[in-house]
Amino acid sequence: MQVVNWFFRRKDESVRSQAKDRMRLMLIHDRLELPADRLSSLEEELIAVVSRYFDIDRQTTRFDLQQYERRAALIANFPLLRSKC
Amino acid sequence: MSGRVIVITSGKGGVGKTTASANIGVSLAQTGVSVAMVDMDIGLRNLDILMGLENRVVYNLVDVVEERCKLRQALVKDKRLPNLCLLPAAQTRDKSAVNAEQMKKLCGELKALFDYVIVDSPAGIESGFQNAVAGAEEAIVITTPEMSAVRDADRIVGLLEARKEEISQYRLVLNRVRPGMIRTNDMMSVEDVLEILSVKLLGVVPEDEQIIVSTNKGEPIAGTDNIRSGLAFRNIARRLRGEDVPFMDLDELNANWFGKVVKFFAPARV
Repeated sequence: MQVVNWFFRRKDESVRSQAKDRMRLMLIHDRLELPADRLSSLEEELIAVVSRYFDIDRQTTRFDLQQYERRAALIANFPLLRSKC
Repeated sequence: MSGRVIVITSGKGGVGKTTASANIGVSLAQTGVSVAMVDMDIGLRNLDILMGLENRVVYNLVDVVEERCKLRQALVKDKRLPNLCLLPAAQTRDKSAVNAEQMKKLCGELKALFDYVIVDSPAGIESGFQNAVAGAEEAIVITTPEMSAVRDADRIVGLLEARKEEISQYRLVLNRVRPGMIRTNDMMSVEDVLEILSVKLLGVVPEDEQIIVSTNKGEPIAGTDNIRSGLAFRNIARRLRGEDVPFMDLDELNANWFGKVVKFFAPARV
């Protein structure tokens, strides 16, 4: 889904920043031995799980892969509209 | 004496491992310490050419390991620096000619004789690399600011991390940096690469045509004064010896009058 798009929220489209963004994303996948499509299926499942408990704003739901030294962290942000129970 | 065994490695071929090995070897020897350079690229011997010693090779590393000669007989003395030696690779054998145990033993013998043992690793992550790092306590990872080279360097860093018991530290040398391309945002900067790989920096070497000239002459660039890439290698050697040497301002490389004007208005952060 948006997995690729969220990552490429570029400040500018310079070749240098493209290279840096592609590089970072590639290495996170390499280090975790993560297949390219794996994150988008995780994203869909996470949305499904959270949606069982809450109405969420799908437009502003965001996933972000961040790098801390040589480790990666997946940051998810689900704007919650109302509880479903 | 117990010297330091430092392996020079990169994953990707063609990023400057052998050039770096030759120049770091020469630079260290210039500071007065004794240095042995070991060419572990068995079957693809090249370090002898860069050092201009190809005509003096009699025995090689495999001869030593297979006990056809004494270690001292195989060591080739440098033309200029009496405290610098090369242990050449065998050209007609392959990577399976030496195993990790034999390499450990060899490095043990070498570090009893020399202050520094510089091991030039072959490209790749297979047995040749595994053997090259087997006797080392430190590593230098070489890469260029290109995507494929950085990706391969990251693999190497991962493999070195897995050997934390033996490899106590590893640092990065960023080779073939082009300040002009970084300034125009066409290439990753030194900071970009460091941030992505998350490793410590040992040195930055600018792209330099003079390196090709020095290879053709068989005289490593570090032996020549007034050349920036040579200075970069000499700085690396001083940092290896524990000196705190500031990283050079690569902007000065484009220091013709136009470069100076450009720098004044748009300083590059490299």
